[in-house]
Amino acid sequence: MIVAERLVKEFRLAEREPGLLGSLRTLFTREYRVVRAVDDVSFEIPAGTKTAYIGANGAGKSTTIKMLTGIMTPTSGRCLVAGLEPYRHRQRNARAIGVVFGQRSQLWWDLSVPDSFRILRRIYDIPEPVYRRNLTLFRDLLDIDALGTTPVRQLSLGQRMRAEIAASLLHDPAVLFWDEPTIGLDMVLKDAVRQLVNRAHRELGTTVVLTSHDIADIAAICDDALVVDHGRVVHQGTLTDLLRTADHRSVVFDHRDGTAPETARQRIEAGLPGVRATPDDRGRIRVDYPTGRYTSREVLAFLLDRFDLADWYAPEPGLEDVLRKIYGRSRTPGTAHEGAA
Amino acid sequence: MTRTVARYLWLSFFLGGVGLHRLAAYRTDFFLGAGAFLVRVGIQTAVVGLVFRQVPAVGGWSYHEVLFLLGFSLLPRGLDHLFTDQLWELGRKLIQRGEFYRYLVRPVDPLFSLLSERFFHPDGLGELVVGAVLVGYAGAELDLSLTPLQWALAPALVLCGALLHTAVKLFFASLSFWTVTSLPAMYAASQVSEFSAYPLDIYHPSLKALLTWVLPFAFTAYVPSVYLLTGTTGLLGWLPVVTVGALALALAVWRRGVNRYEMTGS
Repeated sequence: MIVAERLVKEFRLAEREPGLLGSLRTLFTREYRVVRAVDDVSFEIPAGTKTAYIGANGAGKSTTIKMLTGIMTPTSGRCLVAGLEPYRHRQRNARAIGVVFGQRSQLWWDLSVPDSFRILRRIYDIPEPVYRRNLTLFRDLLDIDALGTTPVRQLSLGQRMRAEIAASLLHDPAVLFWDEPTIGLDMVLKDAVRQLVNRAHRELGTTVVLTSHDIADIAAICDDALVVDHGRVVHQGTLTDLLRTADHRSVVFDHRDGTAPETARQRIEAGLPGVRATPDDRGRIRVDYPTGRYTSREVLAFLLDRFDLADWYAPEPGLEDVLRKIYGRSRTPGTAHEGAA
Repeated sequence: MTRTVARYLWLSFFLGGVGLHRLAAYRTDFFLGAGAFLVRVGIQTAVVGLVFRQVPAVGGWSYHEVLFLLGFSLLPRGLDHLFTDQLWELGRKLIQRGEFYRYLVRPVDPLFSLLSERFFHPDGLGELVVGAVLVGYAGAELDLSLTPLQWALAPALVLCGALLHTAVKLFFASLSFWTVTSLPAMYAASQVSEFSAYPLDIYHPSLKALLTWVLPFAFTAYVPSVYLLTGTTGLLGWLPVVTVGALALALAVWRRGVNRYEMTGS
C-alpha cells in the first residue's frame, strides 16, 4: 500500500551570521548548509495495517509524511501510496488519503464546521449515504454538533482538532495520515478518536499511519511500528516485537510472610546477581531483571520459592524505555551523521 | 475534459455561494472595504476634475476621455479582484506560516483551491459597478457610439485585462515559494498598476515602456480605451500575445514554486 524506496529529502538552510553586521553580510553573500532530513529511507507498509511512525524530534518523520501526502517532493528516491507517487498525482492521491497535521489547520478559517463539511462533501464527491453515516458517527463520538456555527478560527484547540479529525475521515479515505492528531484533546475525546480510527480500520480496511507524542495513542491504535532515527529506519515490525526488544523486564509482587523490605531486597539481589529489587512503601517489591540473563520463568520460580506470594504482575515494558535505548544506540559515534555539504 | 470543466464550474458556483454567505457574516468588514474604495475612486475623480479646471486637455485627452479611461481601468481590475484576492494571502503569510499545504491535499487543482477561498470578494464587485457607471457616464458625455466590432470586442478586452492583472499578481505572489513572503513585491506591482488609470501619453517614455513591456498594465486600460474611444488599434494586436505570454510565465513560476514548496515546521 505504502512504499518508500531510498527516500531522501534535503533542505538548504541559509546560514545566518550573528549580529547586525552579520545579517548585513548575509544579505550579499549567502552560504547554505544542506541538512538531510530523510536519509535513504526504505520501507513498506502493507494495506490494512495500523502503523505508528515513531522517531525523536528531527528524525524526519514529519518530512516523510509530507512526502507521502504529496505536499513535498523528495530530493531523490521515491514513494508510492496506493500505486501513485503522491507529489506527481496530488489530486488523485488526495482522494485516497485523509490527513491531519495537529499543528496546522486545513479547515476554512472563517467558516463554521458544518459549512466546511458541506464544501468537503462537494470537492470529494462524497455519496449522500456515506456523508450521512459519517456525520452521524461524528455526532455520536466527537459531539461535533456542539461546535455549532462558530467560525473555525474562534474554536479552541480541542474543538478544532475534533473538526480536523472528522474532516480527515469524512470521505472514507483508504489511507489515513495522522500527525499528532490528539493534541489538545481530553481523555474522553482521545478515547473517541481511537474508537473512530479503529472502527474505520475494522469496517473499511483503512490503512493508518500515525505519529504521536502520546504513547497511549500509539498503544491504543497501532499494531505495527516503524521507528526512524536520524532519517533512517531502525526498527520495523509489530509493536509487540518492538516491546520485546526491551533489555529489562519487571515483575512486581506482594508477599505475606512478613520479611522486612530491606531483607527481601538483599535476598533477591544476592540470589539473582544482576537483578535490582526496589521495595515501595506499601511493601510491594519491583524486580527488574535483564532479559539476556534470566527468563521470566527463572525469576518467578525464584520468587515463588523464597516468598509467600500474595499477588504479582509483569507490567509491559515502557515504549519510552525501548525507544530511548534505540535512539541511544543509533546515536553512538560512527553512525551519527549531520548532513554537511 | 468536459466533465472536469463542468465540475469546476459547479464547484465555483457552490464556493462562490459560500463566499457570498461569508460576506453576510462580515458586514462591517464589507462596508469598511466598500467605503474605503469609494473614497479612493472619489479622490481620483476629484484630482482629474481639478486638473481639467486648469487645462482643457492633458496629453491630447479631454476630461471625459480621461474619466472613461479611469472607469475602464476599474473593470478588469474589479473582475480580477472578484476572483483572485486570496493571492495576497499567499504572498503575505500562507508560505510563512506553513498553511499552504492544505491546497495540496485536496482533490482539486491547487490554484483553484487557493483562489476559491475568496471567490466573490466584495471589493471587486464595487470596482465593477463604479467602473461601469464611470464608463457609461463618460461615454454618454462624449457621444460615443461603438461599432458592432467594438461592442463585440469590449468584453474580451475587459477579460484580457483581468487576466493580465491576475498574471502579474500570481507571478509576484508565487515568488513567496522562494522568499517565504513576497508582500512588498506584490504591493509594489499593485502600486505600479495604479498608473494604468491615466493616459500613458503624459508619462516619461521609460515609464511608458515599463507599463507596456515589463509590467504590461498598459494593456489593461490604456490600449483598449484608445481603441474604443478612437478606433485606432495601435498596440491592440499585441494584447492577446501579451496576455497569453504573461499568464504562461506566471503559471510556470507558480508550478515551479508549488513543486519546490517546503512546508515549514513540524
